[in-house]
Amino acid sequence: MEQRRQIKQFVLQNFLFSEDEAALGDEESLIDGGIVDSTGIHELVLYLEEQFNLAIAPEEMVPANFESITTVDRFVQRKKAIA
Amino acid sequence: MAAADTLPARLATISALVPTRTAVVDGERRVSYGALWAQVQGFAAHLRQLGVMPGDRVALVLPNRIEAITATYAAWLLGAVAVPLNVQARARDLAPWLAHCGARVVVHEHGHPDVAPLLPGLATVEHAVVLEPGRDLPGDGAGALLPATASPDEPAQILYTSGTTGAPKGVTLTHGNLAANTAAVVEYLRLRPDDSVLAVLPFYYAYGNSVLHTHLAAGACLHLARNAVFPLQLVEALASGRITGFSGVPSTFALLLQHVDFTAQDLPHLRYVTQAGGAMSRAMAGRLRFALPRAQLFVMYGQTEATSRLTWLPPERLDDKPGSVGVPVAGVSLRICDPQGAPLPAGVEGEVEVRGPNVMRGYWRDLEGTARVLRDGWLRTGDIGHLDPEGFLYLAGRRSDMIKTGAHRVHPGDVEEALAEMPGVIEAAVVGIDDEVLGQVIKAFVVARPPPPGGEAEVRAHCRALLAPYKVPRHVEFVDALPRTASGKVRRVRLKEAEVLS
Repeated sequence: MEQRRQIKQFVLQNFLFSEDEAALGDEESLIDGGIVDSTGIHELVLYLEEQFNLAIAPEEMVPANFESITTVDRFVQRKKAIA
Repeated sequence: MAAADTLPARLATISALVPTRTAVVDGERRVSYGALWAQVQGFAAHLRQLGVMPGDRVALVLPNRIEAITATYAAWLLGAVAVPLNVQARARDLAPWLAHCGARVVVHEHGHPDVAPLLPGLATVEHAVVLEPGRDLPGDGAGALLPATASPDEPAQILYTSGTTGAPKGVTLTHGNLAANTAAVVEYLRLRPDDSVLAVLPFYYAYGNSVLHTHLAAGACLHLARNAVFPLQLVEALASGRITGFSGVPSTFALLLQHVDFTAQDLPHLRYVTQAGGAMSRAMAGRLRFALPRAQLFVMYGQTEATSRLTWLPPERLDDKPGSVGVPVAGVSLRICDPQGAPLPAGVEGEVEVRGPNVMRGYWRDLEGTARVLRDGWLRTGDIGHLDPEGFLYLAGRRSDMIKTGAHRVHPGDVEEALAEMPGVIEAAVVGIDDEVLGQVIKAFVVARPPPPGGEAEVRAHCRALLAPYKVPRHVEFVDALPRTASGKVRRVRLKEAEVLS
């Protein structure tokens, strides 16, 4: 599956309890809407680390990387490129 | 502060005394006490033009931002009741809350997905005040200033509790409730005008509400953070803002401790850290104190029905009263009762009951619900615990969380405490799951990093070494995180549901 869709599926299933892709826009804020909270960010980081074989540092847990599905996807792409 | 002062009277006084002092820092925006008071006056005049009368409800669907504060105090200047609602809630909660409180005005941000479409369907709502991001509330500076004359007996706020099921429960707090609890907290935290707090907890919850009003009442400075999601950002905010105080729930501290290397952080200004909103394991309290050796840790316990705080553990007693949530705050009486309501002696477990000037008047428009929890002035908290001979409270769990396995009753907290002491375990929650033979058996959900090499068997062996056999979890499941309510409490119901479905 395409990477962005994989990430989105994880967020949908684990935070919105939905399979419906229309329930979350790729640019929609994961943070402001409370979709990802202080527990959720931890789950999301663990998922990305395992799924894409990355190590995510605390410095990288910032809004620029985790604001939306799009930013998470780009962040993972960058990480994979330098891994 | 004098407990006789209502919060609006207190803010009026401080604004007159130190108008140039910074009251709130909200991202790039900051507002002094004088400017804040002027905005409060301006928005109060606007609300009056809209026809808001004493006793009317003004609902706020806002994240933590300056205008959430302004709108609250403006409503109070008119004798109206502020109803701060969870900004992350969806229509299925917002609609019943707004209808139940009969809000006349709703203040919300432009772009909230659910509020605007809801309002035409709500009979009582006459006006919406829509805020653009980063913009001030509408104000009318032309009229005469309004005096802060709220009476202690008048209702000031309705807080809808984060209950997961049932009809809306609107905890109705008077100006007297808020003033008394605020004064008590200011006293034990020794809040001063030179304090500054990083406020991450939402103002629409009792705990965040308390953080807000205690710091304003002390003439201190609030730095607003929109969320507690990015651990390093929080720590940087603590450092750059020279923050002296930080309040969190256990999940806030779990995230910080997992992702921040505190040995590399210098937080010389941080004077106090407060924890409430669910029990924190002793192990986590220990790690937190180790990570922040210069800050005093205040472990506290409270309830929305009691405005916010009921007990606090003086930091110097953390070591000789481990696991205790401390002693009642000023003005609060506390007793332990049997199911019939008769007081029990020290050392005997029962339901925690409290009385004091912070105890709510009741649930909004719910005499039956009120009568269930308020009896002769005593609030039945639904929490189970005991007092030691010195009057320190130890909580064992919620009445409804008790697991009945065989002939035994097990408090989830006992088992969770033991699990948290295991190396690698970050947090754990246990629930009772149905069992044909024993009624219920204990299942533990464990967040461990790394997971113990011996897996489930190692967890059970660890528990067996510390606990009576009947308390050892029959089942252990490793999970990435525990489900929590928006206020950070573990959702045991969700864990049980997951169990039934699987």
